[in-house]
Amino acid sequence: MSEQKILFRPSEEQLLEQEIRRHILIAKWDKLIEMVDPIYNWGRRSSLWPLQFGLACCAIEMIATAASRFDIARFGAELFRASPRQADLMIVSGTVTKKMVPMIVRLYNQMPEPKYVISMGACATAGGPFKEGYNVVSGIDKFLPVDVYIAGCPPTPQALLHALMTLQKKIDQQTIKKVRWYQKKAEPEIPVPMLGPDLVDLRRSEEIKARCASAEVEAKPAQLPVMIPAPKLTPTEAEGAAPASVELSKRLNTAIGRDAVAPSGSSLVIQPDALVQVGKSLKLHPDLALDYLSNLTCSDYQDCYEVVYHLCSTKKPGPMVTLKVRADKGNPHLPSLSSVWPGADFQEREVWDLYGVRFDGHPNLKRILMWEGFEGHPMRKDYLEPYYEGPGKIFPSRWKEGHHQRAEERVPFADNVKYPKGFDPSQWTVPKEEFSPVTSQSLQQIEGDTLVVNLGPQHPSTHGVFRMKVRVDGERILALEPVMGYMHRNHEKIGERNTYLMIFPYTDRLDYICSMGNNFGYAVAVEKLLGVKPPERAEYIRVIMAELTRVLNHFWSIGFLLNDLGAFFTPALYALEERELILDLFEMASGSRMMCNYMRFGGVAADLPEEFLPFCNSLVNDRLPKAIEQLDRYLTRNEILLNRCRRVGVLPRDAAIAFSAAGPVLRGSGVEYDVRRAEPYSIYDRFDFKIPTFPEGDVYARYRIRIAEMWESLKILKQALKELPGGEIQAGKKLWNIRVPAGESYGRVENPKGELGFYVVSDGTDHPYRYHVRAPSFINLTALELMCKGHMVADVVAILGSIDIVLGETDR
Amino acid sequence: MRIYGLELLRGLTITLGHFINSYTIGFRRTFRNRMRGQVRQHPADKGVFTVQYPDERLRVPERFRVLPVLIFDGKKGEQWKQETERCTACGICAKVCPPQCIWIVQGKDPATAKPVAKASEFFIDADVCMNCGFCAEYCPFDAIKMDHNFELGAEERHVSHIFDINKLHVSTEYYAETHPKAWGEEQVRRKAEADKKAATAAAAKKEAPPA
Repeated sequence: MSEQKILFRPSEEQLLEQEIRRHILIAKWDKLIEMVDPIYNWGRRSSLWPLQFGLACCAIEMIATAASRFDIARFGAELFRASPRQADLMIVSGTVTKKMVPMIVRLYNQMPEPKYVISMGACATAGGPFKEGYNVVSGIDKFLPVDVYIAGCPPTPQALLHALMTLQKKIDQQTIKKVRWYQKKAEPEIPVPMLGPDLVDLRRSEEIKARCASAEVEAKPAQLPVMIPAPKLTPTEAEGAAPASVELSKRLNTAIGRDAVAPSGSSLVIQPDALVQVGKSLKLHPDLALDYLSNLTCSDYQDCYEVVYHLCSTKKPGPMVTLKVRADKGNPHLPSLSSVWPGADFQEREVWDLYGVRFDGHPNLKRILMWEGFEGHPMRKDYLEPYYEGPGKIFPSRWKEGHHQRAEERVPFADNVKYPKGFDPSQWTVPKEEFSPVTSQSLQQIEGDTLVVNLGPQHPSTHGVFRMKVRVDGERILALEPVMGYMHRNHEKIGERNTYLMIFPYTDRLDYICSMGNNFGYAVAVEKLLGVKPPERAEYIRVIMAELTRVLNHFWSIGFLLNDLGAFFTPALYALEERELILDLFEMASGSRMMCNYMRFGGVAADLPEEFLPFCNSLVNDRLPKAIEQLDRYLTRNEILLNRCRRVGVLPRDAAIAFSAAGPVLRGSGVEYDVRRAEPYSIYDRFDFKIPTFPEGDVYARYRIRIAEMWESLKILKQALKELPGGEIQAGKKLWNIRVPAGESYGRVENPKGELGFYVVSDGTDHPYRYHVRAPSFINLTALELMCKGHMVADVVAILGSIDIVLGETDR
Repeated sequence: MRIYGLELLRGLTITLGHFINSYTIGFRRTFRNRMRGQVRQHPADKGVFTVQYPDERLRVPERFRVLPVLIFDGKKGEQWKQETERCTACGICAKVCPPQCIWIVQGKDPATAKPVAKASEFFIDADVCMNCGFCAEYCPFDAIKMDHNFELGAEERHVSHIFDINKLHVSTEYYAETHPKAWGEEQVRRKAEADKKAATAAAAKKEAPPA
């Protein structure tokens, strides 16, 4: 009965009914809904299932939030779903790169409504400290509707919980009448952005076309980077050559029968056409036996591209040998050394990608960190990123007249993109990849029984945004190709803009599990140039921090290896418990759980706080031994673990050396090589510890290496804590605008994942001319295909877990 | 002969131990420490307890750092003034900042238009800040410090994540509460400096009369 009728014919009966309706029944639809809303909202807010999806450092804190100490399950959000179809909360945890953003948008489109997005940390929110990088998206809100933002880098687990509560409050405000997913008009899907010469947001393609056709496509920089000439050749000692390099160059010249090697400082400059010959003779040389290519990189000079090789021997201890080859600027190409040292494979691809130097004879020369089709070689000095502001920090716009301006406000496209002139998004054809999409026609043409499977870049077991293209015959792996760069956040380019001190907090974000170790490596490399020696107490503190990091990392990696084997989360949770306590120690000393930024040139940032030593002593002497022992007892002889890990992913000894594997992967193949012994840095020569090795080279050996290394680390920690002297923690005065004498150095440390090296070229100013990171996670992947061939798909996951990569370091 | 599964069972006893501990230790903790406010795990305690955030919080150490704040001499709840603020607009924080997220406009004397040692505008872009703490570490005037407040979830970012000079200022009272040790050290240092100054002034006075 309608209300109008009641108004016109008000009989007693109807009046009564009206009364009843008003007071007892809820007559109006609105009021009914108002009653339903709280229940409806309560249901959604209490069962927010996040997508199991992590991008960078913040993802580690997200995992810590899910672990026992912070326990996101208390909010009904413990069910991290590996499939977007079952998830309703996307926590964008980490740096969104241009290469990754198409996948993120795709994942979001696949999530069913209702769906929410939390942007976790500064990077996801707006690009964060990596905003200026050429491969970084300035905020996920450019593509997805974000519900809650969290500031912080990274936000702590409690901060994430706070954001979750903020989201719950937002959900409480919603009403069923207005929610997006019950509207008559369906929301259109977000178009997946395209990877052209740069990232193309397809909603803006008309605008991009118009702008590229007419106006300027790049901001006009006020100041361009200055290039320096390559270091001079120094044929004799009188001109500054190291005696060893003069002697070695003479020997090499006689060995190959012509004048192709010349000393330059402490390195050797080789004619390109003699490179392979020299490489072979150095590798087979009876005295030197330089069988291990530690690092390969390139620098862009005024007159040439200089490719640098750092070589050492796993058989004979001795100093490193540095080879340099110069390629001309017009058409840079050099012979590939991957036939001599297969470990050069990925590193040469990286040089091609970032510098555009071709390597003739390389088996698979294509881009590795950026995508095929990207315009330009970004590490060249004349490549200016879209947000380019000046050749080096400190930017003058910040002080005295520092009116705040977002980077977007001063570039033509109002975004972190640039396109070549005349670019038209609709005409763009994606450069061919060897795996084309399956159509009904292509299905008819498939011959044989093999097929291609893509693992990643969004996959719960790839330890981040890492992708493997796998060709399988049934379940057997025939071929595997790692695809990376989904987290390439331009560490080196930003590093060259930074002053020396500013790089410290960026190194934290390389291997974000072991930030203390990264700080250490960078400090060692630059201190070589500065000629500074930290005081005793600082050295001990550094060693304590580095070894705690090793224990922490191995707990983490063992926990997640078991996760990959299918022991879903119980071992990982047990391992994370101990990690949390070590993080407490780091937080006490440095102020941050993960991004410690604790070391400085010639010392450490601050002395240990009072409560540190009692906590640390109790941890090292009582708690950690028990925890390692328990983990050992829990897992090591477990039959399932043995069956899954033994004789799986075997990397033979010779191959491990040839592929430049490092750290536990190398020692798990029976090579007794550890930088702490081979080239002792800091005060490692004082401690009594063993270098454990296992000859089998399988996943199980790599697992056992980690357990054994934790015991050795505890040994070092006990000694260091006992001998820790008092005194200063900083040599000289602490300077914020330090200038480094011209020269170059390669400093390396044994990080938990392997040899971490920093190659720094200084031109005498306050920022490095060239800054390169030798990333163990990256180079250890070179041997991945060899390890995986012939095994099952499920084993690939375990093998990758046993290598223990961190994408922040792999892609840098 | 080896019996398959024995080691597996042995491993499961550890899981069982954890399960039992979660009741025995967990229950005891629940009754003993209900609503403690701020908690901290001691390494001698078995296992790791769950922090019941938001009812209780993990107590953060003094050096804990999230976003920077500016300090002015005063009590909580007071409004900062140019006379009480410590910043002198020297710009070291902006120069040392790795992602260059600090923006400072140096103040001018309204009468003479000459630059003064005060900031008239001060911005920190929280979307770029990497919480590294360099600004606080290298500030020569103890004017910028790292705050402990991590509860920063917000529904938008374009306004709330740009911290201007008004939003950044906190009182010394607030700072002394979050950083008691550093505050104590600072007081001692300032007193020593003041004493030294007074001593030199007194010495100068002593020398002055004969001349």
